[in-house]
Amino acid sequence: MLNNLIINPNTGIFSNQTNNLKSYFSIQIKIAARKFLDFGVHPILGVLLILVGFIAFSEYLFHQISFAANLIAFVSLTFTSALSAQKRNDFLQLCFPEKRYKSVRTIENTLAALPFVIFLVYKQNLLVAVVLLFISFTFAWSNFRTNFNFTLPTPFYKKPFEFIVGFRKTILLLIGACFIEFIALSVNNFNLGIFALAIVFLIVLTFYTQPENEIFVWNFIVSPAKFLITKIKIALIFSSLLSLPFVATLVAFYPEKYGIILAAWLIGFMLIITVILAKYAAYPSEMNLPEGIVIALGLSFPPLLLIFAPYFYFKAIQKLKLYLP
Amino acid sequence: MIEINNLNKSFGNKLVLNSINIQFEHGKVYGIVGENGAGKTTLFRCIAGLEDFEGEIQSTKSPLKNHLGLLFTDPFFFPKLTGKEYIQLLCNAREIELGDIESRNVFDLPLNQYASTYSTGMKKKLAITAILLQENNYFILDEPFNGVDIQSNIIITEIIHKLKELEKIVLISSHIFSTLSATCDEIHLLKDGQIIRSVEKPEFEILENEMKEIVLENRIDRLGLK
Repeated sequence: MLNNLIINPNTGIFSNQTNNLKSYFSIQIKIAARKFLDFGVHPILGVLLILVGFIAFSEYLFHQISFAANLIAFVSLTFTSALSAQKRNDFLQLCFPEKRYKSVRTIENTLAALPFVIFLVYKQNLLVAVVLLFISFTFAWSNFRTNFNFTLPTPFYKKPFEFIVGFRKTILLLIGACFIEFIALSVNNFNLGIFALAIVFLIVLTFYTQPENEIFVWNFIVSPAKFLITKIKIALIFSSLLSLPFVATLVAFYPEKYGIILAAWLIGFMLIITVILAKYAAYPSEMNLPEGIVIALGLSFPPLLLIFAPYFYFKAIQKLKLYLP
Repeated sequence: MIEINNLNKSFGNKLVLNSINIQFEHGKVYGIVGENGAGKTTLFRCIAGLEDFEGEIQSTKSPLKNHLGLLFTDPFFFPKLTGKEYIQLLCNAREIELGDIESRNVFDLPLNQYASTYSTGMKKKLAITAILLQENNYFILDEPFNGVDIQSNIIITEIIHKLKELEKIVLISSHIFSTLSATCDEIHLLKDGQIIRSVEKPEFEILENEMKEIVLENRIDRLGLK
């Protein structure tokens, strides 16, 4: 009896409907649609934007890197492995009988891997596509349960929390960026090296995209301006620490292009400052479409950041006054 | 001292706190009791300055929020942040230089583990440790005994007694009357956003019996247990 329980999509409570796969996936679509709407984007437009971004990014990788197919497969597996997280699987096993649970997980993983598989097939990397599909299926039948209790040390322990949390969450991506940098230098591809540096900055930007619980702002005893300046100062010092090895090796290998390297570094710092200010300009809500558009504009034409940053700064000061009077 | 005058708070058309007038003095522990939704947490959030409100809240140490240790019923923890880093974060925010955290780890918490993996009771003990190390003068403890083991309950009770001795102001909300009797000097009963009763220690038993009568009425009889 218990094994037939499923959440009713309308009431949110358990019922014993048997045709429950459809209900489950319709809930997932609703949740995704709500996330897009919260971000201020119509769900169809959001899906289209992600699709265009995915194709553009993948094409770029195929132009720049010889092992792009493997990299795309790795990215795909990162998504599917997230679906094997222990808590959500425990919950799904409570909701569905064993057979149906396996079906749900297989469908989920297939859907998550499908865009990547299609792109790999389109790029005639059939072997990688088949292996990716196989591993995705395997992940569907596994539940990442671990009693492994390891705390990853970071060089940022004195100043919690953004870089400590972010570093631990994205360590694999950071290692990936190091690997790309290594490949760039070994195949003498300067653009790829700059791309690796850009990845580091994009990773750092993700540390600042989510608003923290209000208690972690409220606890500070400084003015909003001092709060923002401290946040920016820590971000600049720690992002320098993360990006310095990339910049140093690029300058060492391409000393004649030091101007471009330093410009890329500077733009990275400007972006971090703008995103921090944009985060608190929207606080306590998440950054949504207006902030996203402004940041995207800044990315496409960096001098605009010099205008956007002060705009966000004054807005952030107003928002923070409630917590730091 | 914390002095609250004519405090009103509404969410839309709903008046959540209605003309609250109350004084909290140094070296005293105050209990705030009431049903779920009576307005306790909203009152605490107003005192902390986390909500806009009508009225006045004044304190001898100003601004109040800079000297306040706030423990929520369900404290928030970042994933991938250890217990030690959590304490460091909250103390950095108050510009408190932390010495050896381990020696002050009175609850014997595994401070080098990620706090998000702690049990409910351990999380509460970590949050209490952090606000104590912040060297605050005022404390708001919303359900400090919830989910905490019996040994830690004893430690928390003793900590509250120590805070009283140190002339701090402590406000506690709890649904367990015995914990309030053991720690508080005064208890205020909040109902529908108003303080309807305030009693001192000698009258706690009377208040508890009155509350029992109000809450129970003939509910148990209605069950028809045989």
